[in-house]
Amino acid sequence: MDVSNLLASHAAKFQSVTVEKETPLDVDAGFLTVTDLNPIDEESYKSNLEEYLQSTTRDGIQALIAALYALPTQPSPDGPLAQLPPPTTNLPRAKPLPKPKPPTKWERFAAAKGIQKQHREKKIWDEEKQEWVNRWGRDGKNKEKEDQWIHEVKANADVDFDPVQATRNARKARVAKNERQKLQNIARGQAVREERSERKTDIERTLASTRTSTASMGKFDKKLEGDKKMRGVKRKFDPTEASAEQEKSLALLSKLDGEAKRGRKDTGGDNVLNVRKAIRSVSRGRGGVALGREAGRGGARGKRGGKR
Amino acid sequence: MLRTIKPKNARSKRALDAREPKEVEDARTAIFVRGTHTGEVVSAAMKELMALKKPYAISFSKKNTIRPFEDASSFEFWAQKNDASMFMVGQSTKKRPNGLVIARMFDSKVLDMCELGVDKFVSMSEFKTPKSTPGHKPMIHFASELFDTHPRYVQLKSLLMDFFNAETVNSICLPGLEHVISVTVGPSPPQQAPSIALAGTQQEDPKNLPKVHLRTYTIKLLPSGTRVPRVELTEMGPSLDLSLRRCQEADPELWKAAMKRPKLKKQDIEKGLGKKKKNMEVDEMGDLRGRVHIAKQDLNKLQTRKMKGLKGRAGEEDVDMEGGESEDEDEGDESPRRKKRREE
Repeated sequence: MDVSNLLASHAAKFQSVTVEKETPLDVDAGFLTVTDLNPIDEESYKSNLEEYLQSTTRDGIQALIAALYALPTQPSPDGPLAQLPPPTTNLPRAKPLPKPKPPTKWERFAAAKGIQKQHREKKIWDEEKQEWVNRWGRDGKNKEKEDQWIHEVKANADVDFDPVQATRNARKARVAKNERQKLQNIARGQAVREERSERKTDIERTLASTRTSTASMGKFDKKLEGDKKMRGVKRKFDPTEASAEQEKSLALLSKLDGEAKRGRKDTGGDNVLNVRKAIRSVSRGRGGVALGREAGRGGARGKRGGKR
Repeated sequence: MLRTIKPKNARSKRALDAREPKEVEDARTAIFVRGTHTGEVVSAAMKELMALKKPYAISFSKKNTIRPFEDASSFEFWAQKNDASMFMVGQSTKKRPNGLVIARMFDSKVLDMCELGVDKFVSMSEFKTPKSTPGHKPMIHFASELFDTHPRYVQLKSLLMDFFNAETVNSICLPGLEHVISVTVGPSPPQQAPSIALAGTQQEDPKNLPKVHLRTYTIKLLPSGTRVPRVELTEMGPSLDLSLRRCQEADPELWKAAMKRPKLKKQDIEKGLGKKKKNMEVDEMGDLRGRVHIAKQDLNKLQTRKMKGLKGRAGEEDVDMEGGESEDEDEGDESPRRKKRREE
């Protein structure tokens, strides 16, 4: 029996699903992306652009679909879910990597002792009410003692002992303690960060001093790649002009003067002369400093005049 | 710089926490910005690209005085305010008609940018064909050798992948794959291929760069007689012909910071990620298999069936090899016992 006819008709019915290219296609199933690195066929590109684009895309997508159908799947109501591998293309992140949180005191202790973290449900079963209630918060289980209508009181309790208030105080104290511990943990975390930055500046300072510790003060040292240029402290000098010097000393004097004045104001309030008012009127409202400056300048001018 | 907000209630705290950096990132949100003048073509193109990008797209419908390559401070502000990390700016000027700028951000700072000129645009509505469902993940197809060699096209590929498909997902519903975005570069001019040294000069003259064809197709899966179906494509639109214009490369330091990967978990390493672990592999069934190497076996010491006839006499063995004395003695002790047992 000749089955070649049958086979041929079967082959005609189903078109091929295999794609053959010179350079194999680069399939990144994680990003559903396929890259065809074969050079563009110029003839067909120029003769019929749209058809050429569609056919190359079809070939590429056929390869991608084949790769996707080869992946392990899981059934779901909408159809098979292909389990994608992690992407091979590296794309830049949109935000920097999250910084790890500093461990709390308890977390450090638990790690040292090998204590596993246990998940604590927020809801807890209440036998009396026969329902799930909050462990804390609104109608929480931790307020059960405060809400009950009758309390057991020890025989030797004070006359004004209020059991409701006592349990409430105990609960509030626990909350306050937790808050305090939280703040301490935050402070400790910050201290670690400060310590690190301090250490960093320390190292930098040591490095800087070693770099200038050769006979040539580091001038003829071999330069390492990535070495930053050393920046020393720039010294600043005051101007050497007489006027600037004078101004500075006068400012100091007037500051001292001001302090003395403040002291005087405290001791004697009912002097005949109101000094502040007098200064204001003499300096035409510009204050004692300006007056002193003017006086100094006037004196200098006077001197110069004398020399002449 | 925006002022830092301290959350006053749990809801706003949750909203702020959602913006915190994560190890595995969400899809990038893109903001579509209009420049001082956007022509008909650019605004239509932006609208349709936004339809492809939805739901991770924000539209700025008002005009903005913006020059992305000169001053990117607005981008930084918008990125922080909207928690977005991609921008598509449409602007049409006399010098650069029908321009689209794609900008990518890292940590609310501009990482890199690429300007594209829209030479031809065919809208989605001009193809009377079935469309894909909005919000479905597209497949992307890049075709040209330039996507591996030419820095401009490498950047373009990275930008477009980030724009359309940057979210890492664990699994995808196979019938949910509906459309394809195809990016093809025209044939490179003959003078371009041989000389790599000329690359610098070509970068300065973007007119030499071949065009980019962006097409969108819906797919139809036909039975093929095998497990893998045959794919047929129908053009869905939009289709754009783009030419490369200005570009801004990423600052190397910023790029390095952006490419930092989280430390791989032990589970992922077992799956075969990261540094290859020797002698460990995951087979097709997903089971971890190890290979153990042991020293060559010494067949002389192999314990075979013990027979009396093969044993040398005690006196002979003492002469032959002295090392085996103790063992022989033990055996010598044992044999009478066995005999005894048998007798009993």
